[in-house]
Amino acid sequence: MNLAYRNCKGKPVRTTILILLTALLSLAVCGGTLLVSGLQKGLGSLEARLGADIMVVPYEAKTKSNLESIVLQGNPGYFYMDKSRFEKIAGLDGIGQISAQFYLASTSSGCCSIPVQIIGFDPATDFTVTPWLKRSFTGNLEDGDIIVGNDLNAFPGDTLTFYGIDCHVAAKLDKTGTYYDSAVFTNIGTIQKLIRSSLDRGMNDFSRIDPEKVVSAVLINAAEGYSPEEVMNDINIHVKKVKAVQTKEMISGISSSLKGTSDVIGVLIGAVWFLGLIILLLAYSISVGGRKREFAVLRMIGASQGKLASVIMQEAMLCGILGALAGTGISLLGMMTFRTAIGEAIGLPFLLPDALQTALLALFSLAAVLLTGTAAAAFSAYRISRIDTALILRGDNG
Amino acid sequence: MKKPTITDMILLILSLALCIGVKLVFHACGMKDDGSYMTCHWAEQAVFAVSTGLAVTAVFRLFLDRKSKAGAALAMSTTAAVTALIPGVCIRLCMMETMRCHAVMRPAVIILCVLLAVTGIVDFVLCRKED
Repeated sequence: MNLAYRNCKGKPVRTTILILLTALLSLAVCGGTLLVSGLQKGLGSLEARLGADIMVVPYEAKTKSNLESIVLQGNPGYFYMDKSRFEKIAGLDGIGQISAQFYLASTSSGCCSIPVQIIGFDPATDFTVTPWLKRSFTGNLEDGDIIVGNDLNAFPGDTLTFYGIDCHVAAKLDKTGTYYDSAVFTNIGTIQKLIRSSLDRGMNDFSRIDPEKVVSAVLINAAEGYSPEEVMNDINIHVKKVKAVQTKEMISGISSSLKGTSDVIGVLIGAVWFLGLIILLLAYSISVGGRKREFAVLRMIGASQGKLASVIMQEAMLCGILGALAGTGISLLGMMTFRTAIGEAIGLPFLLPDALQTALLALFSLAAVLLTGTAAAAFSAYRISRIDTALILRGDNG
Repeated sequence: MKKPTITDMILLILSLALCIGVKLVFHACGMKDDGSYMTCHWAEQAVFAVSTGLAVTAVFRLFLDRKSKAGAALAMSTTAAVTALIPGVCIRLCMMETMRCHAVMRPAVIILCVLLAVTGIVDFVLCRKED
């Protein structure tokens, strides 16, 4: 090992290039794998969060892009329909669970420089938000209480002001990787007050609504024996001025785009890996080719063929470990700190794996890169172990 | 002036990257409509001020002897570690973590400061070894 270490130290340029190549390979493998897992976990979280078979919204919110941007991506917005429609839907056949939600977008001046989506729900009937809230909050949501998403820089005990109404932060949600992270949740009483205040201040486009007589969306789970499609069609036929959509259909667009992105990244990781293998193979081959005399001298002074191969393998291991550690470290640091910016840039649900999974992925990429580097060096080690010492020292490189 | 080592150059480049970058590349959120600034702007200003000091120290180091260089490297390392705490810990940033100050400025400052701190320690160890 001492000889390999001295060889590496004696040729700093060669060693630096080999370490850099391995680091780049490791950066691509570890970063790419984390990116793909983050996208997959984000979609899983979104699917789990939707929780309802059908969503019913007012007809004016029917355009898919508008609805998707508000419901799936969390772009702040709001729409309302008469509460009588909720009651009519509740009376239809095939309705298993049903709950209403209320949406309101805060103004930029309220708590921060950009608007946030405020979501009101009925804790008594809700079956989509409560399961998520239970992870962080087990108490009762009183009037004036709010629960903030993980991306909001507010903590339990803080007070946030929306439309001139002070709201007390009761809890903070765990990270979900979806728009829940930048939303604020509250009960019906509070959101009705907020809607009323937004109307009084002339900050709401729906100037003629009565907050106590409207809902924004109705979430439904089909009863046993009924298919969601059946129930959706029934609502679209029998209830006027509303649009029922299946939530799974809503995420199909995201799902396919995510699959496409994951596939492209997967192919890129494979291509980088393959290229890395070829480049490392060439690098070791050129490096060892230029050191034939050095190895021939070593053979002359008694080093066995196995010893020569072992020196090359040890050099490769040294450079590989340093490069792989540097690449994996930089990639982990970059992915962890820039996770929000990456998620925003991709525009898809993005949730990094937990610490244990991340550590396992990092170990996997470390092992994979080390194996690639060692495999690339093994070929050169095999070649050098078979050199004809006499020919080399006579000046014929054969 | 002795020929600068690789760590001298890395310290200088990283300090300049932090100093220039925090103003031009990974700056905090912009001005509000009413012309006022959010608190993240003051975090940016603080990082700029401290990183200017780091960059000047990195230039001065090039003219110092080994012992003084080791001391300056250690000081730069400590300052960089503290600078990493300015955005978010010493000075609060905006409310939403999706905003520029959280998503871009803070990660970039942390990464550059960690690299500066590690390089500073490596340089300190190398300087001491030479002595």
